[in-house]
Amino acid sequence: MTSPSTTSHRLSQRVQRDGFFQLLHAEWSKFRTVAGWVIGMTAAALTMVLFALLAGISGNQKGSPSVPIGPSGGPVTDSFYFVHQPLAGDGSITVSVSALNSSIPEGPGELRPGTVPWAKAGLIIKKGTDQGSPYAAIMVTGSHGVRMQHNYVHDTAGPVSAAAARWLRLDRSGDAITGYASTDGTNWTKVATARVSGLGSTAQIGLFVASPPAVGGGGTAGTVSTATFGDLRTPEGWAGGDWTGGQVGAKSPTFAGYPENASGSFTASDARFTVTGAGDIAPAVRDSLPTGGQLRDILTGTFAALIVVIVVGALFITEEYRNKMIHLTLAASPRRSLVLVAKAIVLWAVTFVAGLVGAILATPLGERLARGNGVYIFPVPSSTELRVELGTAALLATASVLALAVGAIFRHSAGAVTTVVVAIVLPYILIAIPFMPAAVSKGVATVTPGAAFAVQQTLVPYDQVASNYTPYYGYYPLAPWAGVAVLAGYALASLAVAAVVLSRRDA
Amino acid sequence: MSAPGIIVAGLRKRFGTTLALDGMSFAVHPGLVTGFVGPNGAGKSTTMRVVLGLDAVDEGTALIDGRPYRRLRRPLTHVGSLLDAAALHPGRSARNHLLWLAHSQGLPGRRADQVIEEVGLSSAARRKAGGYSLGMRQRLGIAAALLGDPPIIMLDEPFNGMDPEGIVWMRGFLRSLAAQGRAVLVSSHLMSELQDTADQLVAVGRGKVIADTSVTGLIEAASRNRVAVRTTVPAGATTALVRAGATVAAVGRDTITVSGIGPDRIVTLLNDSTVPFSEVSAHHATLEEAYLELTRNAVEFRAETPTEVPR
Amino acid sequence: MRLALHAEWTKIRTVASPLWLLLGTVAATVALSAGATSVVSCTSSGCGGDTTKLTLIGVDLGQALVAILAVLVISSEYNSGMIRTSLTAVPRRTTLFAAKAITVTGVVAVAGTVAVLGSVLAGRLILPDLGDQALSLDDGPTLRAASGTVLYLILIGLLSLGIATAVRDSATSIGGVLGLLYIVPIISQTISDPDWQHLLEKIAPMSAGLAIQTTTNLGSLPISPWAGLGVTAGWAAAALLAGGLLLRMRDS
Repeated sequence: MTSPSTTSHRLSQRVQRDGFFQLLHAEWSKFRTVAGWVIGMTAAALTMVLFALLAGISGNQKGSPSVPIGPSGGPVTDSFYFVHQPLAGDGSITVSVSALNSSIPEGPGELRPGTVPWAKAGLIIKKGTDQGSPYAAIMVTGSHGVRMQHNYVHDTAGPVSAAAARWLRLDRSGDAITGYASTDGTNWTKVATARVSGLGSTAQIGLFVASPPAVGGGGTAGTVSTATFGDLRTPEGWAGGDWTGGQVGAKSPTFAGYPENASGSFTASDARFTVTGAGDIAPAVRDSLPTGGQLRDILTGTFAALIVVIVVGALFITEEYRNKMIHLTLAASPRRSLVLVAKAIVLWAVTFVAGLVGAILATPLGERLARGNGVYIFPVPSSTELRVELGTAALLATASVLALAVGAIFRHSAGAVTTVVVAIVLPYILIAIPFMPAAVSKGVATVTPGAAFAVQQTLVPYDQVASNYTPYYGYYPLAPWAGVAVLAGYALASLAVAAVVLSRRDA
Repeated sequence: MSAPGIIVAGLRKRFGTTLALDGMSFAVHPGLVTGFVGPNGAGKSTTMRVVLGLDAVDEGTALIDGRPYRRLRRPLTHVGSLLDAAALHPGRSARNHLLWLAHSQGLPGRRADQVIEEVGLSSAARRKAGGYSLGMRQRLGIAAALLGDPPIIMLDEPFNGMDPEGIVWMRGFLRSLAAQGRAVLVSSHLMSELQDTADQLVAVGRGKVIADTSVTGLIEAASRNRVAVRTTVPAGATTALVRAGATVAAVGRDTITVSGIGPDRIVTLLNDSTVPFSEVSAHHATLEEAYLELTRNAVEFRAETPTEVPR
Repeated sequence: MRLALHAEWTKIRTVASPLWLLLGTVAATVALSAGATSVVSCTSSGCGGDTTKLTLIGVDLGQALVAILAVLVISSEYNSGMIRTSLTAVPRRTTLFAAKAITVTGVVAVAGTVAVLGSVLAGRLILPDLGDQALSLDDGPTLRAASGTVLYLILIGLLSLGIATAVRDSATSIGGVLGLLYIVPIISQTISDPDWQHLLEKIAPMSAGLAIQTTTNLGSLPISPWAGLGVTAGWAAAALLAGGLLLRMRDS
């Protein structure tokens, strides 16, 4: 007589152990048997593809000048005023910079003196005046001291000196370019040695002035700077031809141009030069290449898909309340918080898969169409592209779980959907308000659930380029996965609250 | 002159591939309780929704006092109805529910209090309807039907969820409505609920009427020439009576009904066979029996009962 | 019609949620407007933008609550099945639907007016004294922006009512409404082609309708203020038409 009771005891043990898996299975069965939800998830994936198509075909920039590409493959700004001569082989060049004055536009056609922090004046050796060609330069800047920079992205700080006259020296020895700084022209401090390949046996060498646009009020304005050089000493055996002056990259899409009523020029008398220039020689950022696309533009359908998965996520629990099926669910598994966890896991997994399929289909399609239309897209390594795709899927999945949790708390679908949509989407409308201070927009993109969109960031900010590094332009204050973690934090906190109220409340 | 009551003629309606109504025709007359009976899915609720102008039909007409429902002005003063007692806003009290209905018909707010009183819901009238029991919702639904003091009342399964006390109350209530001269249509899928309540029976199956008859006549017909015999050995009695040419049916543990031979002859036969019996009386059929008898003859309906045991 | 309207008014005032949603609309609108105006850095010469539009920014949020209210007016009846009771009481679909639309219009007009006046008042208190640039409803463009914003909220209510009548499920309706409102302003940020961007902003209910709030630099708008509000009205009319036709055609 003991045997049947032992068997049933074992059975109950097995049920206990497998209980959670069965719960997951049950929730999965519930999900896949409601046609509307399956259609919703499919629609979410399709929406992403559809918006990628729209993003791909909407921009037509065929025939626009090509974006300069630097030696490392990224887009660059390569526009500055260059006073140069060819230099055959190795050699050394020295100059003193006695003044660097910048002007910032104040109104249409009006300029006022001001400081452009990254205005640059100094010595440069460059393969040629071709856009994106390799270079190395030593320079004084508006407010960042002496810098040694090469090949657009590399930047080394030199001594900061308050003295008005600053001496600069650039040596070439094969591929090794060394920059020096001095306060008196006698005692030299080495700033850095850069290895620049591809300069060729005869490179262009000379003076340059660049004046990047001033950043402010959510936009940029072209500036102009004038430097006074003296004591120009050229290498021994210098051919000694005429100095040629001109604007490099005048028609480049990454060049903001001169302010109204200003232009580049140089005057020379003996060893004294006055050079006026605009532009920059630096990596391109969103501000300097406003027509450039990013992956997040192609994945703009994420917002539409987000609303769909939020609706489905909320309905996954509120429908049970509406038709009282929740009683049956809780009767079948009285451990209520486990039910919620099972629902969350199933929903997360389903949404993740739908989102990933959408992102993986949308990204290459949109990129291909956009490039076919002549749109330049900021290049990203394939690992970054994969991170954006996985991250977008995780963002959608986590948002739908947040909707589930809020739905469980509210027991009311319309309220839950609105709360979650507004919490994630509205910040994006607010940060686009032109006169929202950058600090506020960064704060919004750090603390709201919308922080998760950081995972779609593909642009790299550069210390040596002043720009609007705000979420509106695609620069988020948080690291990609940290942004998703903020959203996940909201989702987990809401789930915890939901679990507590679900356990305490009458169903 | 328009005809009073409800007249339904030749309703036909298809939902996808299912023929929900297939020529439904009947009339509901003043002063009578008409039972609208049939199995689930026979088309009762669809017919009622068509009468109320909620569903459109492919063919046929449903008229209230000679006019289609959608053309009625202040329709609740023509016909009061209860379709789904659960159809309430859970956050609104019974009184406020009746209040908006009253306002929609231009009736004063005190009319709401009157009908609440009538259905015995006064104590809960100001509580949110979300917390009502099914029985209380039914009473609220009845109150809504009575609101416009209409000459026609139409109730879909009003006995659902009622406790025995409520069922007794409901029967008396329906009788009193008919006694006031109103036409009352009550649907049900359980005959026992309509016992002693309905005057007229409209039995439907598969979207059409299979019988439209008075209840008295129906029960008489079903009881006619049948004798009930109470005995402790129903098997012995059955053997004896069948041998004499009677048709015998068991109706309870110790009761059989006999047709084909009269009561005197039954007493003689049982005595001759020494079968003990305690009572021989004229059989009074229940409404359920009468209904089963009736539907047994309806070919349409029989086709619906599964003839094959699923394997 | 008068009776149906009376019934709808009784319905809306005898449950708690519409009142809370209307109060929420006012609170959310004023709070967001006040929050936005308090974070911008203004100098005595101005705030570097359209202060009227900034002061009314709260409707970006407030409209979401208006949308819920309008969606629930119809979808809660479908949810519980009470729509059948409503239709037996008022069998003419158009009458019932018009009564609902008028009720929504009325309550949103009241809440919207309070919300807009509250936002303007908050703006006046928070923004520094700008002299002749100070917010004032005596100023033609500001009055147009403020009254237009109330109209905008009403149109969003009607748009939501129409969509919810067509869709019937509250979550799907509210998702649809919010998607329609919020997605275009976001994707137009990411579309680089100015022609497409302007086209999207011209035809989308939120971008076009909120052109009514602009008081400076009208030339740079993709659509003029009243024409923009007209686009939103077109959306609302189309949604009402679709909802009304479906309500008439469908079995209930």
